[in-house]
Amino acid sequence: METDSIPRQGQDKNEETNGADLVVGIVGEFSPEGVAIMCDALRTLSGAPRIAVLHDGPISKAGSADPTADSTTASLFFVPSATKTEASGTPVLSMATAYQTVFETGEKLGARGCCVIASQVQAAPEWVCQLTQPLLDGDIDLMVARYAHHKFDGLLNSCIISPLTRSLYGKRIYNPMGPDLAVSQRLYRRILAGEQKAGAAGLHPLASLTPAALCGSLQVCEVHVGARTYAPTDWTNVSSLLAYILGPIFLDMERNAACWQRIRGSAPVLSIGAPAFISQETGSVDVQRLVESFQLGNRELQEIWGLVLPPATLLELRRLLRLPAERFRMDDELWVRIVFDFALAHRLRTISRDHLLKSMTPLYLGWVASYAQELQGAGALALENRLERLALTYESTKPYLVSRWRWPDRFSP
Amino acid sequence: MWGQVKQALAQSTARFLTRFATMLPGLAALIFALVVSIIVAFILALIVRRLLTSLQFEERLARWGFSGMADWSPMNSPTLLVSRSIALLVVLVGFLIGIAAFDAQWTSALAQTVLAYIPNMVGAVLVLLVGGVVARFLGRSVLIGAVNMNLQYARLLSAGVKWLVIVLAVAMALDHLRIAPGIVELAFGILFGGIVLALSLAVGLGSKELVTKSLERDVKRSSSELEDPLRHL
Repeated sequence: METDSIPRQGQDKNEETNGADLVVGIVGEFSPEGVAIMCDALRTLSGAPRIAVLHDGPISKAGSADPTADSTTASLFFVPSATKTEASGTPVLSMATAYQTVFETGEKLGARGCCVIASQVQAAPEWVCQLTQPLLDGDIDLMVARYAHHKFDGLLNSCIISPLTRSLYGKRIYNPMGPDLAVSQRLYRRILAGEQKAGAAGLHPLASLTPAALCGSLQVCEVHVGARTYAPTDWTNVSSLLAYILGPIFLDMERNAACWQRIRGSAPVLSIGAPAFISQETGSVDVQRLVESFQLGNRELQEIWGLVLPPATLLELRRLLRLPAERFRMDDELWVRIVFDFALAHRLRTISRDHLLKSMTPLYLGWVASYAQELQGAGALALENRLERLALTYESTKPYLVSRWRWPDRFSP
Repeated sequence: MWGQVKQALAQSTARFLTRFATMLPGLAALIFALVVSIIVAFILALIVRRLLTSLQFEERLARWGFSGMADWSPMNSPTLLVSRSIALLVVLVGFLIGIAAFDAQWTSALAQTVLAYIPNMVGAVLVLLVGGVVARFLGRSVLIGAVNMNLQYARLLSAGVKWLVIVLAVAMALDHLRIAPGIVELAFGILFGGIVLALSLAVGLGSKELVTKSLERDVKRSSSELEDPLRHL
């Protein structure tokens, strides 16, 4: 397959004026061959849709628009993309920019749906069609990929994002923040309108998608796509990561408070494909380092945590300080109450929001240490049971959150 | 001779009584100005106290990190401190206006000098307040950042940064008040430089082993990052 880049601007300008049915943004590091494979898979979509593809990097000639395509296959054209990741931006911020660009392009071309492909997954390329076909058929508003994962993959999603979304909005979505997902016109227009209305503190193009869909009673569906490749951890940046991820989530909680306070329990969403289980053999985790981070935070940040957490929680954290690393265990209920208390403190602006979220880092690392200790040597079934137990704890502790949210002064630390 | 002494005494008494009589209107004006200023101060203090209570001033102060202010406030109430300070200022201004009514040159000059000094005092108080807020904010930022980087001397760093900013703010306030500017400048330079030098020595020499261990841990960590199975995102 030839990989020289193809001058496509002149040809694509004409294509753009005819609009598109689907806009697909391929973000992240994909080889030209990988992009070509995606494009070939997209051409098999039924209904002969016009597909606009946004991608920064070079594409192989095999991936470009095929002039011999007939009227029964999907036609593809490439749009010059503004999804370049800024050299100075973090990966999280640049992802948000990429989503925004895809939605704006969708709006400009009048597309019925937008799709963002950001991951290298193990499933066959047709998973992209499974993600986008229901959108074009008009049945579903939000398609999210559900990944098979190792026990130590996507920890933020496992311990906060997924169970919090489930307990708040009553739907069991395992990867509510994608990153691979497809969005209907109805939903992406809502996101764009929300961003414009509320300015800088408005809807986040990635974090707000699932809450906006669930609170708007839109249809959501999951697609099983197998295992995904995760980026290695940048340990100097965990606190910034927490702040970038949790900030928009807590802002959405504030915005949607009237919606999630009424909801009790949870139900599964529509699902396509069969779940895949992968080997849970991984390297050993340096629990000692995580416990040390937690202990240091516990000793030095008591003054800050005291403004956010109630005395009972602080007492339990001090008890954990005395435990050696091999017996270190953080109860799910303690962890869930901590997350809820930080969400409330974020809403009340008890301290600077940036300080608040970054000061949560030692607590998060403490939870990771406890989780890693418990699941070292565990298999796929034990992992699912563990995550389910955590999610149920979020649901059962929700009344605590609702009480504190409605009467923050009554429970003031 | 006794007659002359009596005459001298009578003349000096008459001069004193004349001087006293000329001062009486000024004295009356001073008392009147004081009474009016006390009444105005009382009303103003009441209004300020109600306003600060409705704004939850004490809770906000605690949130901004000024919970220590309650310790040196009357009845542990910063609201009372602020309202009484404003009342005192109003009474002082009233007293100065009353003194100016004596129409004596030196009292007018004194009143003018003191009144001209009040903006400097207000400026100095503002500089101290802003300096305090900035010191707290920066100290907290450094503390959280250092803890997240697993630095054992996080609290020392945070305290050092906070005191640097406070010393800077105090020096700026004293400069604003024009109190011994030359001495303050020199003392500030020595103190500020001393704190920076002490911090550098503490980090570079005194905690050399800690820094070495932290750096060694970082090197080991970066070489083992690829083998670390934890993925947060």
